[in-house]
Amino acid sequence: MSIPSTSSAQVPGRAAPVVAIRGTGLEKSYRSGKVSTTVLRGLSVEIGLGELTLVSGPSGCGKSTLLSLLGGLLQPDAGRVQALDVDLWALAARDLERFRLEHTGFVFQGFNLFAALSALEQVMLPLGYLGLDSRTARLRAEEALAEVGLSDRIAMRPSALSGGEKQRVAIARALAKQPQLLFADEPTSALDAASGQRVIEILHRSARRHNCAVLCVSHDPRLIGQSDRVLQMEDGCILTDRRQPEQKEPSA
Amino acid sequence: MIVALARKTLLHEWRRFFPAVLAVAFSGLLLLVQTALVLGIFGSAAVFIDKSQGDLWIGYPGTRSVELGRAIPLDSEIWLRLDPAVARVEAFLWVDGDWRSRTGQGAVSVSVSGIEPGAAGLMFARALPTELRERLRQPDSVIVDRADLDKLGVSVGARARINGRQVQVVGAAQQLRALGGVNILASLDTARHLRSVGDSSDDDRRMTYYVVKLHDPDAAQAVAARLNREAARHGFEAWTSSEFSQRAVRFWMFETGAGLGVLFMSLVVCVVGVVITSQTLMAAVAGSVNEYATLHALGVGLRELRRVVIEQAAWVGAGGLLIGALGSAGALVLASQHEVPVALGVIPSLVCAGLVMTISLLSGLAAVRVLRHADAANLLR
Repeated sequence: MSIPSTSSAQVPGRAAPVVAIRGTGLEKSYRSGKVSTTVLRGLSVEIGLGELTLVSGPSGCGKSTLLSLLGGLLQPDAGRVQALDVDLWALAARDLERFRLEHTGFVFQGFNLFAALSALEQVMLPLGYLGLDSRTARLRAEEALAEVGLSDRIAMRPSALSGGEKQRVAIARALAKQPQLLFADEPTSALDAASGQRVIEILHRSARRHNCAVLCVSHDPRLIGQSDRVLQMEDGCILTDRRQPEQKEPSA
Repeated sequence: MIVALARKTLLHEWRRFFPAVLAVAFSGLLLLVQTALVLGIFGSAAVFIDKSQGDLWIGYPGTRSVELGRAIPLDSEIWLRLDPAVARVEAFLWVDGDWRSRTGQGAVSVSVSGIEPGAAGLMFARALPTELRERLRQPDSVIVDRADLDKLGVSVGARARINGRQVQVVGAAQQLRALGGVNILASLDTARHLRSVGDSSDDDRRMTYYVVKLHDPDAAQAVAARLNREAARHGFEAWTSSEFSQRAVRFWMFETGAGLGVLFMSLVVCVVGVVITSQTLMAAVAGSVNEYATLHALGVGLRELRRVVIEQAAWVGAGGLLIGALGSAGALVLASQHEVPVALGVIPSLVCAGLVMTISLLSGLAAVRVLRHADAANLLR
């Protein structure tokens, strides 16, 4: 059943990255009444550590569903997801939550920040559930906010921040957990050009600096130039898998 | 928790949560005021017992409330006095009467309480100052409750007729009102005369109750039990004062159906409270559902998210309880200033507070269901 649609393309002069997530034979359909729509058709993919992988393609091609499956948010109808050598869908619900808490970060198109919390509190919030004490959580949160260039905004609530700043808080919230896997769904589509550029640079830098696997879903063409690898999807399959030439780490 | 999400959200979005707080507050207000009214009104069913001193009440076997008493054998008093634990025995005569004043108003049904007029009298000792009680020694004199003066069409000093016999109002006291009807105090002799007016058995000297004072009030229960072993044979039954008082209140609350009505009203208040509070809380949770979904994606368990919602419900309950309690206190002060019978003890208040918190927590449980929509996969479609 599992037909590998693609395998990681090799670029001469660069070692193949360590595989962080391996999806094999992934299938997913959505049912709406009596109509069933197949979104993924036996897709297999590997996502490497230390690089930014961009999944692009037209609306409805299944790229967000792929991200949900690989991120442990949505169970595939068939196939396996191995993340950091753990079979995600063999875990109990509580264990899967724990895995996500310890290893994954998410950034969404809508920033989804709590209106009542300051930037610092937004970032500290998940750290509390990780079991960090208040002092450590605060230090880590401040560090993450500094990394996204928001050291001077830590006391502000979302209503006082611009769209780009909100998304950077959301990224800091995901990064502060120090995840090995970072998922971003259309992180730039609600942002202006400059803010979008900044966000994608931060994501790219995170992949390199923290050696985490960043999987970004977007149809924003500006992101292609900033990615290490681009997967072009269409109709539930990966059409092309392209590695970008080696880039130097973007500066802050 | 290092970030107090529940509390911070509650404070920041107070406009969103305020209707829930108000719903809880009004539920609390209704429950508390209703309970106070019920306890005040039905408590007066036992006014004869509660306003009197005495450790035991002796009456017709099976009597369920004071006004349902019947005459008991004359020798009852002797049997009582034979018990070594008994310090004093005092008679209480209940007479149903028909009151007519000179103002031309129609007749009013009254009950005449025939009591011992001496300074050491047990009956109504807690409501009647000695000086007032002494006035009952004057033949055919009565004392009425101040709040009943208008209804009876008299003022202090005026004359009226009970069962066709002329009486004079020699005083007005407070806290004599009973649930069953207008309560009028007279001496035992006056009451006996009033009974015999329309009655052929002119020489009936039987009493309705005896109130007993014991040497040791703590022994009341044991003495009542001892008396009851022989009581049926002698034609009476003994109760401790608190037992007889509760019996009277229970009779009015439940046998008359009024108590069930009150319980039903409380149930309605709770249901309405839960419906309104849960709707408001659900809307508040739904307003943040994407944020909760993001936390869930980041690995925060649904159990922890539920805890946030329940904590919010608990704060809403606490806030509502505070406002409700203040409102109730105001309402009860107003009521007692206008002689509306209200009474509220610690235990009924705590029960009401418990119900209010239950309303909030049930609403919180209902609102928790909204978290089912906090599915991070929904953020990715």
